[in-house]
Amino acid sequence: IILLLVPSEETDENDLILEVTAGVGGGLRHASASIGGSEAYRHMKFEGGVHRVQRVPKTEKQGRVHTSTMTVAILPQPTEINLVINPKDLRIDTKRASGAGGQHVNTTDSAVRIVHLPTGVVSECQQERSQLKNKELAMTKLRAKLYSMHLEEEINKRQNARKIQIGSKGRSEKIRTYNFPQNRVTDHRINKTLHDLETFMQGDYLLDELVQSLKEYADYESLVEIISQKV
Amino acid sequence: MELWGRMLWALLSGPGRRGSTRGWAFSSWQPQPPLAGLSSAIELVSHWTGVFEKRGIPEARESSEYIVAHVLGAKTFQSLRPALWTQPLTSQQLQCIRELSSRRLQRMPVQYILGEWDFQGLSLRMVPPVFIPRPETEELVEWVLEEVAQRSHAVGSPGSPLILEVGCGSGAISLSLLSQLPQERLRGSSWMREDRAAPSPLWFTDSNAYHIYLARLWPRRKGCWSRVIAVDKREAAISLTHENAQRLRLQDRIWIIHLDMTSERSWTHLPWGPMDLIVSNPPYVFHQDMEQLAPEIRSYEDPAALDGGEEGMDIITHILALAPRLLKDSGSIFLEVDPRHPELVSSWLQSRPDLYLNLVAVRRDFCGRPRFLHIRRSGP
Repeated sequence: IILLLVPSEETDENDLILEVTAGVGGGLRHASASIGGSEAYRHMKFEGGVHRVQRVPKTEKQGRVHTSTMTVAILPQPTEINLVINPKDLRIDTKRASGAGGQHVNTTDSAVRIVHLPTGVVSECQQERSQLKNKELAMTKLRAKLYSMHLEEEINKRQNARKIQIGSKGRSEKIRTYNFPQNRVTDHRINKTLHDLETFMQGDYLLDELVQSLKEYADYESLVEIISQKV
Repeated sequence: MELWGRMLWALLSGPGRRGSTRGWAFSSWQPQPPLAGLSSAIELVSHWTGVFEKRGIPEARESSEYIVAHVLGAKTFQSLRPALWTQPLTSQQLQCIRELSSRRLQRMPVQYILGEWDFQGLSLRMVPPVFIPRPETEELVEWVLEEVAQRSHAVGSPGSPLILEVGCGSGAISLSLLSQLPQERLRGSSWMREDRAAPSPLWFTDSNAYHIYLARLWPRRKGCWSRVIAVDKREAAISLTHENAQRLRLQDRIWIIHLDMTSERSWTHLPWGPMDLIVSNPPYVFHQDMEQLAPEIRSYEDPAALDGGEEGMDIITHILALAPRLLKDSGSIFLEVDPRHPELVSSWLQSRPDLYLNLVAVRRDFCGRPRFLHIRRSGP
């Protein structure tokens, strides 16, 4: 019953984009993947943050342990329901022909600019020849911008004391260390260590266990927040 | 370097180049190559923008961007891969850009220069003098689609309206409607035997002939099936609409008929039943405004696609007068018009109660001008 009190994120059911950026060093520096599926965001949201890897590279002759980091960002995609924009709040700018327009004018300027009046957020598009298509693309961009602003606001409302942070605050936090020589992985937010790193890296039950523990802790923190607000 | 310069100069000052001004780059016969350093996409756009501006060509930057992008295989300059912006172009590409740009210097509309343009996301071939679709008209199509969706929602079954477009031009309205209207087919539908022999192009010039032809060839399909009949009085438009229909693989759902709808006999033999919808972007320019139109329009587009007579109402009133013969009861007419027309149409309809037509809505375009009319038939 207590679990029912836990508020779910509004984006729990959304698809998401996973972005991975390397800390230092060469090779592949940045990659992103689009992930969809049932409650994709809910399962993936705890992966955001800095993952630290400690290992002895093959090229290392003296057996020293090297540490490198990888930053992961989980960005939810807004759906129609998540974000409702009132058309009256928008100003749509297109090339304005003088006079009667329409048949009187030949134009190839199909750039569109949309201004969201309440927030001042602007989005433009001139990628397409069709003005309608440019308008649609500009709207999509605008929705994404407004949505990420909205999410940041929501997240910032929560108490800073939370250990499990989702959003830009969490992105720079070191959340997990993968120690290859000692064959263990530690999540620093809940201070949980799992052994058998190889199996963990395969995904499956060990990863699920960790995600489950994180979820439980996050639920606990939400409940504490709710309770302390009422007091 | 010198030889290259001379060759380029020879190309530029070859036969067919009229006028003494050739832009700042070629103002004198110098031993150095006049186009030295102008070899990347960005530099060329900059160069030709300058040339167009000097010659008073409107939308100078847009024109040069579209031409350069087109030669590099992209629809817009924005959508070009950034890597291509600074890469040097081949001499063939440079020559192509020069040729296309020289047409722009003759005030040819960009859409005709490129031979294609987009409408509602569809890519359509453009050929002078067939009328170039305007961006406003995209909103007309949107409105029609909304209405169809609303109506079929109310009725409880997917809409399969029979639509007539008057004055199809390049086919923009008809084809964008078809591409977005449902086309479900129930299983077990069967073709009439003759259909197998029927070729896909279907256009007719003899109104008597197609009465018989269509009765045999109209496919008997069960289920939801939106169909469009597109008519135009110009053969060039019929041919271009057909070409665009084939490009978009919509030729099986559109009937393209060469017909002058202002001629009385056109409508005496109607091989099809009454329409659910009539849609049109009829010529609506006031006759006295015709000479004020830009050279792009005056010199290249068919005046018959623009000139609506004294008050721009000639074709509009013709279409409205056809309603009793062509439109189902509670069928609709959607028109694009001049911003001065809503009032004129309203009073005209009041003077013709015999048509049983009502102006039910006026919609504005993206510039806030009253542009689109929804007229409904309600009567015997």
